[in-house]
Amino acid sequence: MNLEGRRIVFLVLFILVSIIYSVRLFYMQVIDDRWIARAAEVSQKRIDVKPPRGILLDRFGNKVVANKTYYNLMFVEDKIEELDTAALAKLLGLEYHQIGERFEEIRLSLDRKTRSKKSGNDTVVNDYRSYMPYAFISELTAEEIAGIASELIYFPGFYEETVSMRDYPYPNGGNIFGYLNEIRPHELEKDRYFYKMGDFIGRAGLEREYEKELRGRKGTKFILTSARGKAVDNFADGKLDTFALQGPPLQLGLDIELQAYGEELMKNKLGCIVAIEPATGEILAMVSSPSYDPNLLVGSRNIRKNYVELNADSLKPMFPRPLQAEYPPGSIFKLVQSLIGLQEGVITENSSFPCTKSLVGCHNHPTAQNVQQAIQFSCNPYFYYETRKIIQQGKDKNMFKDAEIGLNIWEKYTESFGLGVQLETDIYGLRPGVIPNVAFYDRWYGKHRWAFSTIRSNSIGQGEVKLTPLQMANLAVIMANGGWFYTPHFVKSIGDDGPRPEFLERHSTMVDAKYYPIVQEGMRRVVNEGGGTARRARIEGIVVAGKTGTAQNPHGEDHSVFIAYAPFEEPKIAISVFIENAGFGGTWAAPIASLMIEKYLKREVSDTIKERRILDANLIIP
Amino acid sequence: MSRSLNSVRSNWDWWLISIILTLMLLGVINLYSAAYNPERTFLFDIRALYGKQIMWMGIGIFLGVVISLIDSEFIRKLTPAAFLVVTFLLVIVLFSRPINGARSWLGFGSFGIQPSEFAKVSTALMLAFLIGQGRIKQIAKKTVFQVLALVFGTMLLILAQNDTGTFLVFTAFFFVMYREGITFDPIILYFLNNLLGLRYKSTWVGVHFIPVLFGVIFFSIITLYFAESKHSFYFLPSIDVPGWAVLVGIMTVLGLVIALFANQLSTARAKRRILSVVLVSYIGSILLIGAVSFAYLKVLQPHQKVRIDLWLGKLEDKDGEDYNRNRALAAVGSGGFSGNGYQQAVLASPQSNHVPESETDFIFCVYAEEWGFLGSLLLVFLFTALLVRLIMIAERQRSRFARVYAYSVAMIIFYHFAINIGMNVGLLPVIGIPLPFFSYGGSAMMAFSVMFFILLKLDSQRKDVLAT
Repeated sequence: MNLEGRRIVFLVLFILVSIIYSVRLFYMQVIDDRWIARAAEVSQKRIDVKPPRGILLDRFGNKVVANKTYYNLMFVEDKIEELDTAALAKLLGLEYHQIGERFEEIRLSLDRKTRSKKSGNDTVVNDYRSYMPYAFISELTAEEIAGIASELIYFPGFYEETVSMRDYPYPNGGNIFGYLNEIRPHELEKDRYFYKMGDFIGRAGLEREYEKELRGRKGTKFILTSARGKAVDNFADGKLDTFALQGPPLQLGLDIELQAYGEELMKNKLGCIVAIEPATGEILAMVSSPSYDPNLLVGSRNIRKNYVELNADSLKPMFPRPLQAEYPPGSIFKLVQSLIGLQEGVITENSSFPCTKSLVGCHNHPTAQNVQQAIQFSCNPYFYYETRKIIQQGKDKNMFKDAEIGLNIWEKYTESFGLGVQLETDIYGLRPGVIPNVAFYDRWYGKHRWAFSTIRSNSIGQGEVKLTPLQMANLAVIMANGGWFYTPHFVKSIGDDGPRPEFLERHSTMVDAKYYPIVQEGMRRVVNEGGGTARRARIEGIVVAGKTGTAQNPHGEDHSVFIAYAPFEEPKIAISVFIENAGFGGTWAAPIASLMIEKYLKREVSDTIKERRILDANLIIP
Repeated sequence: MSRSLNSVRSNWDWWLISIILTLMLLGVINLYSAAYNPERTFLFDIRALYGKQIMWMGIGIFLGVVISLIDSEFIRKLTPAAFLVVTFLLVIVLFSRPINGARSWLGFGSFGIQPSEFAKVSTALMLAFLIGQGRIKQIAKKTVFQVLALVFGTMLLILAQNDTGTFLVFTAFFFVMYREGITFDPIILYFLNNLLGLRYKSTWVGVHFIPVLFGVIFFSIITLYFAESKHSFYFLPSIDVPGWAVLVGIMTVLGLVIALFANQLSTARAKRRILSVVLVSYIGSILLIGAVSFAYLKVLQPHQKVRIDLWLGKLEDKDGEDYNRNRALAAVGSGGFSGNGYQQAVLASPQSNHVPESETDFIFCVYAEEWGFLGSLLLVFLFTALLVRLIMIAERQRSRFARVYAYSVAMIIFYHFAINIGMNVGLLPVIGIPLPFFSYGGSAMMAFSVMFFILLKLDSQRKDVLAT
């Protein structure tokens, strides 16, 4: 037997295997791209980097909406090793049984109902994945995490993650800024690129309106991860990464100190203050009372805790009254009526009507000899006669048809004042108010079944006319400017790019500028002359022009209304104050307006007696 | 004494030494990357794996130097004692605490050794001792049973440890038996003649039992792999040819080609012999393909087929069952032509740790990912050169003891190389055995060092002994 020859078997075996392995290696490493793709799939991870939201600054550069870092305590179930439940409970300040319950809660929160296409039965699918990170506790403050973070090494599978959330240095303006809350599925559907489940999105106010600007630009980071999902290195030295860009700061026209002062004055009162800079339309303050501290709605933990409570409050602190409450304007509407009358030529500056209290009630005052005096005395019968002249111009012999023509003309004028239409402002949820028109009354009474006498209450701002407090303030702006306005808005500049272009567009009323001084003089007298209804609004050294209103309220005490602007010669602030159930406009609304004006113009208030009276007043009827 | 020293110096096989030193060097360089610890960057830091590995290497070389001072005849005489000691350790280890399901560690404080690694050396020596006895007869029943008892006995002890990889390595010794002409005829003839009443003196299968056995296993796997696949050929456009038919076709063509060559080249007597071998092989392989295909396609339950498909890598379960192998293949495959560069592994790096066991069984992944195809080819070449050199050394021995030992060393290295690289490139299922000089492991390092030093010593004194 030739055994030495058998060495060939060995050599052939060795060389054959080497050749097979070499060919295989060549195929795997050089020819087949599949493993490179597989390696990328395994190790490369694309991470979306969300920048902190853009901040909000007031008109003097004070941060009014800022960001603060919070911490989530995350876990990945697969990486948890021999969890010491008792120790974890102790560390987190929970009961022993709560640990297990929390795990169960997280798991259950990811249940999802799906309907089978075949059988139509609902089945529950659970999206929980044991290799995915979830927040065991979210939104811990820096103080809270400090004690926990150092112990986490004893709890493999747990780690901390930072999140940026809102912080409000001033406890004011909740209804202006709005709040952030977790995105809803239907919102997520609209923008799958930017958002993912669990992201926060602006839910009300400016946060909602300026969501696209504030959220900034999403960055993308490509990293190499370890098998445990930990970042090991940047991919391709970060060449493919894009940086996240924080949204530009929004510079507001808001004066946060004025806002805070207004909220202070409105304590224990229901109602609103809206202050606007007439020359620009920038909103200086928008007080809705009662309000809430925006810090109460930061993060889902706080929202869960506080939202229900705020929502259940019978005084509705989350209801943005200046935007959404539609009130009868009361006598301030007489300003609009006089201007329309003058422009239509149904009255002149010196027209006079007797104060016949038989038609409509009035208070005791001398007969108004001209428009100025009519405004000064706020004479109800005067405007009853005056408005009848607008509505019943005698253009048709039929009284009903005549009224229809007149109301159409009147409606066009009011619309040019921004009444009964939605002002295209930059805050979410503004209502249009109500200006009743032909269609409105036809629906109500029937075609040609109504005339001026049917709708006469509107002459003096009662009846069907309704305005939002923002519209009232805008009315003050129109008066201050003498016939024009910029749409009231909050954001005077997005970063350094200026406001939205529509806020640079000047709107004029249909009343000629020449008629305004007449009404302005009347408003000056309201405050500064004897017999004026708002003598409480006088300020030492500043000429204020205004108009009171007392909106009759069929459900209870009348509402107290006042609009004003100052200084008379060169207006810097226009304001509306509306206090629910506070009676006569001159009593409460006028002094509050004057305090606000003084605060804004002089930065401090001299008349502390007046201030004290307001602060001490509780006008909420239980 | 002076003659002996002189011969020691002059007869070292420098080829073998160079290849082994190159592999050791590459192994340490690679381990430094594979087990890189940023807190212990010093190569000789004993608290890092590379520091430890170098320490084991040092101990191994020290032991080797001690062995090289022993006369080769004395080594031979020490063999039974050494074998008994190691076998004793193999028994002791069965009472140890299991680590990862295997009882293969004997702990001494914080260090442990794996007797099974040393068992490879001791069994190789013992096999050489047994076969090297002058009076042995190749075809005697007693010889076969002695050798089988030695190998199977050790294998049983290894199996009891639950160490499949090492268990498989011990089948390497069957190849050594084949080289030495120890046939399985006595067993086969016993059945044929006594039970079936035939009168054979020898059988071809018995003589070539080991190559035939491995050929059968090889063909079975190939058949399983292709049995279900469909192939279409441009000359048979509308027909999908099943894989098993393609295999039959290939075997037929191959058989005809070999037969034609044999017809052309050989003498009449050799021709008849070759033709009959080809015919028997052909019929055997066709029967084998048919049987395996039938069993796979018709007999097996679907879930059993899935198990086999997963084992063969036909099915992917990349994040479950197949996780290790899939990550290993991705690491090797993503190395590309020239690799990511030293310490630039993405998947197999110790920080990312996508490839499990990347310091031990899957260490080739680190090397292949960092050094690419060029480096991998160099590694395959070095091991092939080592194996070929070992056969050359084995064949030049005058003593049977030395030759058997040298063949054993060659086959052990071949098994480690083939199984380890095979699983790293996805040609073999995952079987945990180390890649010599590359994988971290003290026992393996010391055992391989000692194994080679014994061989070098025997080889250096090959001219001192008379042929047996």
